[in-house]
Amino acid sequence: MAVSKYMKLVARQGLYCKIKLREFSSSSCRLQEVTTPVSSSSEQNAAPVETKEGPQILSRSLKFPVDHTHPRLAWLDSMSSIESKKLGLLDLHPDIFATYPRVDLLHKNVHWQKMYRYINYNFEPSRAEMPGGGRKPWPQKGLGKARAGSIRSPLFIQGAKAFGPRGPINYFFMLPRSQRATGLRVALTCKYTQNDLVIVDNFDIPTADPDFLSEMADVRFWGHSILFVDDSDVMPEKISEAVHQIRGFNLMPAYGLNVFSMLKHETLVLTLAALERIEGKLLEELHTTAVETKYVNKLRPEDFRTRPKVDSTMYKSFTKPLEF
Amino acid sequence: MASKVTEGALTLLKTLPRVALNNIKDLPTTLYKKKTDRAAGRKKKGRGDKGQGARGTWDPIGYEGGQAPLILTTPVEKHYGKYAVRRQYPPISLLEVQRLIDLQRVDIKRPIDITSICNTNLYHLDVSKNHFGFNLTEEGCDVFNAKVNLEVQWVTELVIAAVERNGGTITTRYYDPQCVAALNNPKAFFEKGLPIPKCKLPPQDALEFYSNPNNRGYLADPEKVLEAREKLAQKYGYKLPDLSSDPVKSLLLMRKDPLQIFYGLEPGWIVNMADKCILKPKDEDYLRYYANVY
Repeated sequence: MAVSKYMKLVARQGLYCKIKLREFSSSSCRLQEVTTPVSSSSEQNAAPVETKEGPQILSRSLKFPVDHTHPRLAWLDSMSSIESKKLGLLDLHPDIFATYPRVDLLHKNVHWQKMYRYINYNFEPSRAEMPGGGRKPWPQKGLGKARAGSIRSPLFIQGAKAFGPRGPINYFFMLPRSQRATGLRVALTCKYTQNDLVIVDNFDIPTADPDFLSEMADVRFWGHSILFVDDSDVMPEKISEAVHQIRGFNLMPAYGLNVFSMLKHETLVLTLAALERIEGKLLEELHTTAVETKYVNKLRPEDFRTRPKVDSTMYKSFTKPLEF
Repeated sequence: MASKVTEGALTLLKTLPRVALNNIKDLPTTLYKKKTDRAAGRKKKGRGDKGQGARGTWDPIGYEGGQAPLILTTPVEKHYGKYAVRRQYPPISLLEVQRLIDLQRVDIKRPIDITSICNTNLYHLDVSKNHFGFNLTEEGCDVFNAKVNLEVQWVTELVIAAVERNGGTITTRYYDPQCVAALNNPKAFFEKGLPIPKCKLPPQDALEFYSNPNNRGYLADPEKVLEAREKLAQKYGYKLPDLSSDPVKSLLLMRKDPLQIFYGLEPGWIVNMADKCILKPKDEDYLRYYANVY
């Protein structure tokens, strides 16, 4: 009794079953590879093949194919029902989803994302800027006390601070472009390798009820925090409504994908279109011949002297979608 | 396949906890940056007060205050001049060879060369240390009583006498470093799948030694070698056993071709360890290359 209760608890947290699932999925991947004939498709990247069970994608042509390793495989899933429904197998480019896991580059990216927007507003007035302190507090000689010229000297209690912070100071810098691209590739590799990457055909769910989405995440062991990434920034209505009501679930367009968000969320859910966009962009970046130019920061202190107004657009309630 | 390093790292990553914001770290080299500007803005820059230390006007190294320094008064003895380029012959004494034979570490029914000595796992040659073969030394020349066909790289007259007195034969033979490496560990060499190299001729300064019949050089005239054997027997006063009527005459007179490095194997052949077979070249250009000296 106690054991089954414990197992349930563990299963809810997605630990035990995650490991089981990982073994299952990897072995079935191999089985699929051997048994099903791979059909080649030239017109479309991912060509659905009509079978008895429904449309099945069995191959995907990759740009910039490589000889040094084999393409990685991932299931194409569906979000139409709570239970997982496999629509086919996808080839993933090994340069994006099986690179060397440079954890230091992940750290550099996260550090950069934290620091480039950080402005230190701390400020300490100097002894000249503090009030008073013009008069000599006591005579130079004859009292047996230390010589003193001002009560605002740094040695005094309630005196000024020597070399204090003179904010606002910006910590803006740009990480080299190649390191940013590699960071994204490494983050995607980590997600794929640790079985935290899910690829779905689209974000069409039957209801806007948040319980449906959270139950789906529970059944499929997606964890507590999930990042949904689509190609476009205009998302389907139902999933937007459902995600908005669940803490820890977030929607993001493909152009906003970043290392920090990927590492912050337990599971990354990509649509097929987002996968195409991300993989295409990163491969383009990998094979570009353009020379990287150094970023020159032209910001001046005047540009951030005052605190910016907080954009409260997101906190308002709307009756109808915004028009741009 | 992708690089083994990447594959290994990804395999390891599968078993590790999820990569997240709480468990990523930069490389240690970037965390501990050496402080270089500590003395900036200080008056004396950490060099103390006035004097030689502050101004950096120390005496040159080796200067002894005016008296003739050690480096000039002591004469130079260049024992180790050109050490890096000299040919090295690690010693093996007659006593040690006799011991190997007594303990049946080497088989005297076959010719003894670098391979049979190194196969005992007691002696090794290292090409990176400029080892060009064995120097057979005189220690144990009185107790040496084996009748063997020896092939070494460096000998003295007394060693030759000790071997020939017992009815054996001895040859001095030059091998170039590539051949020494192959002879030192033939199995490792064959597993590389390379063709057996043809041995180079000795360099200019070693040519005289290896073509001298008194050293039993492998390039010497065989008739002159026979003469030298007689002369040496007369010099040391022992009776030279008759080679022509010897029962193991074929063993004692077994010699390699100057280009050959293994008995029974010719240069250019490939020993395939996986399939247990020997591959021989048929192309005429190859055959011409491996049969001739250029």
